Amino acid sequence: MPTADFWAQTSWLIPLYPLVGAVLAVCWSPALIRKTGPRPVAYISLLTTLVALVHSGLAMAASWGQPELFIQLPWLDVAGFQLTFPLVLSTVTLGASTLITLVNLLVQIYAIGYLETDWGWGRLYALIALFEAGMTALVLCDSLFFSYVLLEILTLGTYLIVGYWFNQALVVSGARDAFLTKRVGDLILLMGVLALFPLTGTWNFSELAVWASTPGLVEAVPPLTLTLIGVALVSGPVSKCAQFPLHLWLDEAMEGPHPTTILRNAVVVPTGAWVLVKLQPVIALSPWAVGMAIAIGTISALGGSLIAAAQIDAKRVMSYLTTTYMGIVFVAVGAGQTDAALLLVLTYAVASALLLMATGSVMLTVVSQDLTQMGGLWSRRPVTGFSFLAGIAALVAIPPLGGFWALLPLLNGFWQHQQWGLLAVVVVTNAVVSFGLVRMFGLMFAGERTAMTARAPEPIWLVMLPTAIMAGLTLHLPFVMDAMRILPDWGSEASPLAWVLLVSSLAGAEVGCFFYIFPRVAEPTKLVPGPVNRLLAYDFYTPKIYQKTAIAAVASLSQLTDWLDRYVVDGLVNLVGLSSLFSGETLKYGNSGKTQTYALTIAFFVALIGLYVSWGALTSLLS
Amino acid sequence: MLSTLIWLPLLGAIPIALFAQTAKQSRNIALAFSGAAMLWTVWIFSQFDLASGGLQMQEFVSWLPVLGLNYDLAVDGLSLMMIFLNSLLTWIAIYSSSSDIERHRLFYPLILVVSGGVAGAFLAQNLLLFFLLFELELVPLYLLVAIWGGPKRAYAATKFLLYTAIAGALILASFLGAVWLGDSFDFSYQQVLQNQLPLVSQVILLALLLVGFGIKIPLVPFHTWLPDTYVAASPPVAILLGGVLAKLGTYGLLRFGMGLFPDAWALLSPYLAVWATVSVLYGSVTAIAQKDIKRMVAYSSVGHMGYVMLGAAAFTPLSMVGAISQMVSHGLILALLFHLVGLVEDKVGTRQLDQLNGLMNPTRGLPLVSALLVLSGMASAGIPGLVGFITEFLVFQGSYIVFPVATIVSVIGTGLTAVYFVILINRTCFGRLDSQKAYYGKVSLTEHLPAFVLAALVVVLGLRPGWLVQWSEVTSASLVAALPEVEQVQLAWQEETSKENISFARQVPLDIALGE
Repeated sequence: MPTADFWAQTSWLIPLYPLVGAVLAVCWSPALIRKTGPRPVAYISLLTTLVALVHSGLAMAASWGQPELFIQLPWLDVAGFQLTFPLVLSTVTLGASTLITLVNLLVQIYAIGYLETDWGWGRLYALIALFEAGMTALVLCDSLFFSYVLLEILTLGTYLIVGYWFNQALVVSGARDAFLTKRVGDLILLMGVLALFPLTGTWNFSELAVWASTPGLVEAVPPLTLTLIGVALVSGPVSKCAQFPLHLWLDEAMEGPHPTTILRNAVVVPTGAWVLVKLQPVIALSPWAVGMAIAIGTISALGGSLIAAAQIDAKRVMSYLTTTYMGIVFVAVGAGQTDAALLLVLTYAVASALLLMATGSVMLTVVSQDLTQMGGLWSRRPVTGFSFLAGIAALVAIPPLGGFWALLPLLNGFWQHQQWGLLAVVVVTNAVVSFGLVRMFGLMFAGERTAMTARAPEPIWLVMLPTAIMAGLTLHLPFVMDAMRILPDWGSEASPLAWVLLVSSLAGAEVGCFFYIFPRVAEPTKLVPGPVNRLLAYDFYTPKIYQKTAIAAVASLSQLTDWLDRYVVDGLVNLVGLSSLFSGETLKYGNSGKTQTYALTIAFFVALIGLYVSWGALTSLLS
Repeated sequence: MLSTLIWLPLLGAIPIALFAQTAKQSRNIALAFSGAAMLWTVWIFSQFDLASGGLQMQEFVSWLPVLGLNYDLAVDGLSLMMIFLNSLLTWIAIYSSSSDIERHRLFYPLILVVSGGVAGAFLAQNLLLFFLLFELELVPLYLLVAIWGGPKRAYAATKFLLYTAIAGALILASFLGAVWLGDSFDFSYQQVLQNQLPLVSQVILLALLLVGFGIKIPLVPFHTWLPDTYVAASPPVAILLGGVLAKLGTYGLLRFGMGLFPDAWALLSPYLAVWATVSVLYGSVTAIAQKDIKRMVAYSSVGHMGYVMLGAAAFTPLSMVGAISQMVSHGLILALLFHLVGLVEDKVGTRQLDQLNGLMNPTRGLPLVSALLVLSGMASAGIPGLVGFITEFLVFQGSYIVFPVATIVSVIGTGLTAVYFVILINRTCFGRLDSQKAYYGKVSLTEHLPAFVLAALVVVLGLRPGWLVQWSEVTSASLVAALPEVEQVQLAWQEETSKENISFARQVPLDIALGE
């Protein structure tokens, strides 16, 4: 039996297991699936994921109480420029990779049931495995450069996985927008990556933090440069985490298969926040970048929660909740509370995975994702209903579940630094999220049965089992946090803030109950003025803003240069060609064969040249 | 040793032209000879000394000493990369030619002649020899476009011929100036390097070279021959044109522009960086508006060559390695794209983006072609893990210290690259296949072979970029070491242009004209 240390030392293998799975899975072309059936692909993928999970878990256990371990894997050394892939192995990073592989394992089982009738499993599982490899590598990696590389690869992965059902028009445009929006963020991040290196000489997060805190080094850099770099480093995660104004892609990406949506919203998107947390020391150097993170986070948190409360599409609610929670993470990072931010990422990932699994379980048998078509599912769907409730309780701040323990230290931090505005943002957001989720629960499970929900039993065990396990995990998360000593101490934290938080959750839930579970008002939407309602339902009209600004600009610019190219640049060339042809054609008529014409021409030009040459002499003669 | 690369293809042209009975026979002979040249290239790689930045495996035969023209070959890291590209892409171009091509006894010999000539140009260490070989490939390429091309082939071929001829004239003028102004008649590269020309003459001669090679690369605004020619040329010829011939331009700029006129290069480098950036943006933006895949790829080439130019303008050791590697990666990706477009056109019958649809369909579409198209498009757009990323990244990181703004603007160019490749993939691979028309022939594995080879290179070199950049590392360092500091040159320029030196510079061409 290898020693505990062995597992930590070999942690660099963790991303390679799913990568092997991806390579194997991609071999399952439709032709091969016709022979073997689709299941073997899933089994291979499950196996590699299980291996990665076990290895992550063992390595995490081995790293317990140990100092951080660094491993350098040399990659490129050219012209004095060295790139090594640095891994940082600590309980936090290995814990993150354990969480990622665990969620992946559950979702892959879920996908077997959910996508039973689909034909492209080779592609699907290869991409899921690619994501798994990319994410585990990202959390273990200690370098901004390689984080950028991995995020960019995941951007491509997002494009392909959202475009999984590529023959549908909405899927194609969703995939396109996801790719391009994320690419915008990636490239701004790349600019930051390029600009940072000459200043720091390193891309390693740990060394960047040291650089940022060393007196004298930072002061030597012009503040404008620092600001630009800081803004660039914030912008990358803005698109990854679907923050305003680059949030639309996540909504459109919902066109992809639902199991991948679970993965995307629960773990892929938070990897952007992970990078943001790692970059916090550098971002903190620039007040502008900090202000930007907080401003974007605030708008995303409040706006996202309000929009989520106004959606009638089940998946859309979930999409905007991701924006909301990542917004809170942005605010936390902006305020310098990285520990609270990471804790929130953890509780969010677990709770949202559960909520999405439960939502998918509803959608699978209801065969609709329109919330207005649903209702009365509680009696037939107790497991799903209970899981959904557990998810709500774990996401918003309801003690003793996860979300409460993540938001409480955040509020304490704001309290200590007297950041009342930020405190209010979090409390209000929490209340609105609570309302929105209870509304969704009410629309799905309470009320009268509808035509769609009348014959909608719990789906196949392959879907329900992972959901139930996830629910168990969510409910036990506080115990895990306690075991890992990341649970805030109740005694010292039993502040008025705990009550504020609890009251905000309950108030939101109460209002939700009032309108949607035990409805007292026939049409609650009528209570909100029409324009406000439409503004929220149509996502602040973001698609239209995109159409009218960025898309229109690029499209018209490209049309313009194309026109210039065809008619001006090439036109000029063709004009030269034509004119030389024309002059040649014209001149040939001068060839009459008459000697006297030639002589006259020659004499004329000789005279002309003579005049030109002797011009100076002539003018001096005359003057 | 190096001569083999020139003479083997030329030798191969003879039996095809004289004895080949069927197109298949011609193709096999051509494949055998170009395959042998490829193997020979591999052998040269094995003999190449990585530690040396100078010229290796020199060959010298006195030819016309009176003119200063000698048969003088040698290889360094830069040439090595180029002959690798030439040998590989020639083989691929021949392989991907249709097996029942018309006038096969002319087609294959012409391709082999082009390949031999280009190899010679990359190896030549004599200015006149380079020029001779540079011009030599012009005629066979003209014929290759004009005979086997698409609908507008006559127009395109003539345009190509005229442009390249003008480029040739400008290059020749610059070469003559570089040698004769140095009071010398020896055109050997090493000898010309010794000539110390005044800065003003250097600038004028470099300007001639820049336009000459700028046409060949091509850089905006000398690029309009390129879309027409790429569109008109058949896929194998387009592979040669874009993958290899365009590199003659960038190679020429690095070898001769930078090598012969180091002071002028350093002086003009800020303008070159701006020019490069304009090319990047112009090419990428124009590509977005294109409807024909080949045209789109042609404009994308204009953009990608801009990165090479940017790296060369910054001339840090890192950006030079990046620029040279970018030439290789662009050649590989472009060849892959053109091969795949050729397959699509062959099976579907069109390469118009508004007519293609749903090729990813696993049963009736072209799934493997689509997958490879996604791969090549993403490699071109600079997605990490593929070779396009790391070469662009080295250029960017190397150039950022010198030209931060130009570099950042060029990064936007890679974003625009992603835009048009997403358009390309969305229109061709994604979407619903039209079941009424979709009775496409199967693409056999042998047809896929070149794509597999190129895709493997794109992926492997992307994951292990060390295997690509190591060859040119020392050469880049020595190229860069020969260049002066920009500030120094700017001071010298101010001194030289301030007073009567101007009139001196104007007299220089007159002196030549009078034969002094």
